[in-house]
Amino acid sequence: MIFTVKKRDGREMPFNIEKIADAIVKAFRASGELEEQIKASQTQLDLLGGEDVLSSTALKVAAYAVGRLEAEGKTKPEIEDIQDAVEKALTEAGYGDTAKSYILYRAERTRVREVNTRLMHTLRDITFSSAKESDLKRENANIDGDTAMGTMLKYGSESAKHFYTMMMLKPEHSRAHSEGDIHIHDLDFYALTMTCCQIDLIKLFKNGFNTGHGHLREPKDIRSYAALAAIAIQSNQNDQHGGQAVPNFDYAMADGVRITYRKAYLNNMVKALILLTGKEEEELRPIVKKLHEEMCEMGMVATLVPNEKFVQTEARELSKTFSVEVVMGAQKFAEKQAYEETDKATFQAMEAFVHNLNSMHSRAGAQTPFSSINYGMCTDPEARMVMKNLLLTTEEGLGGGETAIFPIQIFRVKDGVSLNPGDPNYDLFKLACRVSAKRLFPNFSFMDAPYNAAYYKPGRPETEIAYMGCRTRVIGNTYNPEHEITFGRGNLSFTSINLPRIALKMKSIDLFYKELDRMLALVRDQLLERLEVQSRKRVKNFPFLMGQGIWIGSEKLGWNDEVREVLKDGTLSIGFIGLAETLVALTGKHHGESEASHKLGQEILQHMRDFCDNESKRLNLNFSLFATPAEGLSGRFLRMDKKKFGIIPGVTDRDYYTNSFHVPVYYKISAFKKIEIEAPYHALTNAGHISYIEMDGDPTQNLDAFEKIVRYMAKAGIGYGSINHPVDRDPVCGYVGVINDVCPRCGRREGHSIDPQKIEELRKKFPGMPAFLGIR
Amino acid sequence: MSDKEKSQYGEGVGFERIRRITGYLVGTIDRFNNAKLAEVNDRTKHSYGEN
Repeated sequence: MIFTVKKRDGREMPFNIEKIADAIVKAFRASGELEEQIKASQTQLDLLGGEDVLSSTALKVAAYAVGRLEAEGKTKPEIEDIQDAVEKALTEAGYGDTAKSYILYRAERTRVREVNTRLMHTLRDITFSSAKESDLKRENANIDGDTAMGTMLKYGSESAKHFYTMMMLKPEHSRAHSEGDIHIHDLDFYALTMTCCQIDLIKLFKNGFNTGHGHLREPKDIRSYAALAAIAIQSNQNDQHGGQAVPNFDYAMADGVRITYRKAYLNNMVKALILLTGKEEEELRPIVKKLHEEMCEMGMVATLVPNEKFVQTEARELSKTFSVEVVMGAQKFAEKQAYEETDKATFQAMEAFVHNLNSMHSRAGAQTPFSSINYGMCTDPEARMVMKNLLLTTEEGLGGGETAIFPIQIFRVKDGVSLNPGDPNYDLFKLACRVSAKRLFPNFSFMDAPYNAAYYKPGRPETEIAYMGCRTRVIGNTYNPEHEITFGRGNLSFTSINLPRIALKMKSIDLFYKELDRMLALVRDQLLERLEVQSRKRVKNFPFLMGQGIWIGSEKLGWNDEVREVLKDGTLSIGFIGLAETLVALTGKHHGESEASHKLGQEILQHMRDFCDNESKRLNLNFSLFATPAEGLSGRFLRMDKKKFGIIPGVTDRDYYTNSFHVPVYYKISAFKKIEIEAPYHALTNAGHISYIEMDGDPTQNLDAFEKIVRYMAKAGIGYGSINHPVDRDPVCGYVGVINDVCPRCGRREGHSIDPQKIEELRKKFPGMPAFLGIR
Repeated sequence: MSDKEKSQYGEGVGFERIRRITGYLVGTIDRFNNAKLAEVNDRTKHSYGEN
């Protein structure tokens, strides 16, 4: 006799034949095989009704199955044994259809069970393991997975991914994603929002804006300009999951400097007159203020670099009240003081801006906003003051001398503006190189790369190329060629293709293209599906992004309007990873080591780009090709392919796939050769790209070489690039630079203690040294 | 500061190592995922002497 059953988790439970019968009843209902018998029994006025035929037949089958188990000597059967016996019993009793639906029912139960267990396992992993042990918790390196909000964010994100995979994605897209043919990025936000946006601060600041509670007036000082810039970035971040960029930081902040200078000039003019005339402020201020207001109405204002019209008119008017000597002296004083005060205020504003963006964990409570700012083209003295001070505060570092990790700063390089000696912003380019050599930022974007220059119209900052987040680029516009601008636009969503897998699977180049075409079509369909989900959203779902008119065209929409039409200005991007491994799988060599592979690499990307361009025209949308940043992806695809294809030298023999079209990081190559090889791929990836050069040693000691590399990028047609070098810091003595085993400043080894007296002595030599709090 | 505290000044404190990952900076390598950590360790320097 059977008394107990062994459950899947190993526990033993009392045996209950009714439970088996219940499952069989469900299978009969699904197959409909007993329908006729039930009807027959009902027409015979059988008082017990149809249910009884069902349950009695089910019980008979159950009993037969149990009999079989006993005959096999299984006195403590497992669930799987019972289900096998039931399947056989149904078949042998002639209920073939019911057996089939029973098998389906079993499979469905298994799926649901696995799904639930997988989710529970994931949640358990998130709850009980530290980020150090859990790769999952380090999926995104700027979230601290050990904190409460970091963990909560992860719960939400993993559960959401689960839900969308099960309930929203088309099965073919879900399968391709889970099997690693493609990767749907930011799946946790699938039904919620779009990726990123380029915020035009000038438009936003005009007339002020609203962040949900309380109206923020148009700023009247560089400090409030910078504070509001941080608030705008933060507010928009909560409506989107990707990067938030300011494409016109120099232009926008310059307005703040103008206002600050005007006010400082007025104040100092009053101060000077008090001193020189001995009169009271109450008497003098109204005179100067009234004069300035009248002049302003006639278009004359005090400017950072004094303009003759204002200076002369002011002198003439004031001379009616004061002596010429007094007026000239006062003007000179006011100019000098106002300049210095404005400069100082601008530095403080930039310092606070950088601090804010590194410390406001306002993104779901666990992340600072993913912010980028673009600058470098505006040559107005006010904008130059902004850029100079931003760079200087970046060079100085945060409170303890730490390197700021946000915002990502992008310095625009252009011949005639900043690239060459004699260009108005060449001094700032030099400074940008110096700061980047110490702090890794700014990165450099290249306005003269032909595919960037194609959009540029002098005098229209919205046509200057901008990059956002890791590398996203949005400027071209097939849907609306009049909107070939950066302002108010962003990426809607992107999905990446596992290129090396196609190569591993297909081996020959002809077949490779066939499979690539299939994947491109699959990704296009998936992006369109997601676009439909996004298009059904309404303005109210994005109170800042759409409600405050950040996104292009959204200012014309009402609170309850669909965002469908305005989203069409955004981009749908198809990304890829591992071009290098793909080429090795196809030809035996990657593009860094073989000219033929390099040619094939460009052909492959050109093929993908043509697909994007053709689909853009056909569907009147903006498809673009993306050199995916691939943080979590670099390991995910590789692990799956290693399992599938084994270890193949140059393809799956490391722990990661090489980023986008990069020459493999381990490959020995000169900086210049690497730049030459990667540049043509920038031209093809219109959704974004970046190239890195790894520089040895301390680049602050070799600024000429640093600048030479950046200039070579410009010459070679790179769109966006930066130079990597080790930036280490000893928190005890505050040294920033290259640290190998021993700190060059204090001589401490990692983890070792040091005599506090020595630190005090060092402080005399390095007065800026931060205080080290805490003994260990 | 007691003698004991003096002898432990800075003990257990590691160096911070900032690296760029996919396009943004990360303040500590501890937060890199396994694949990216492997990649960072594999990175080779690019010479810039010629050209």
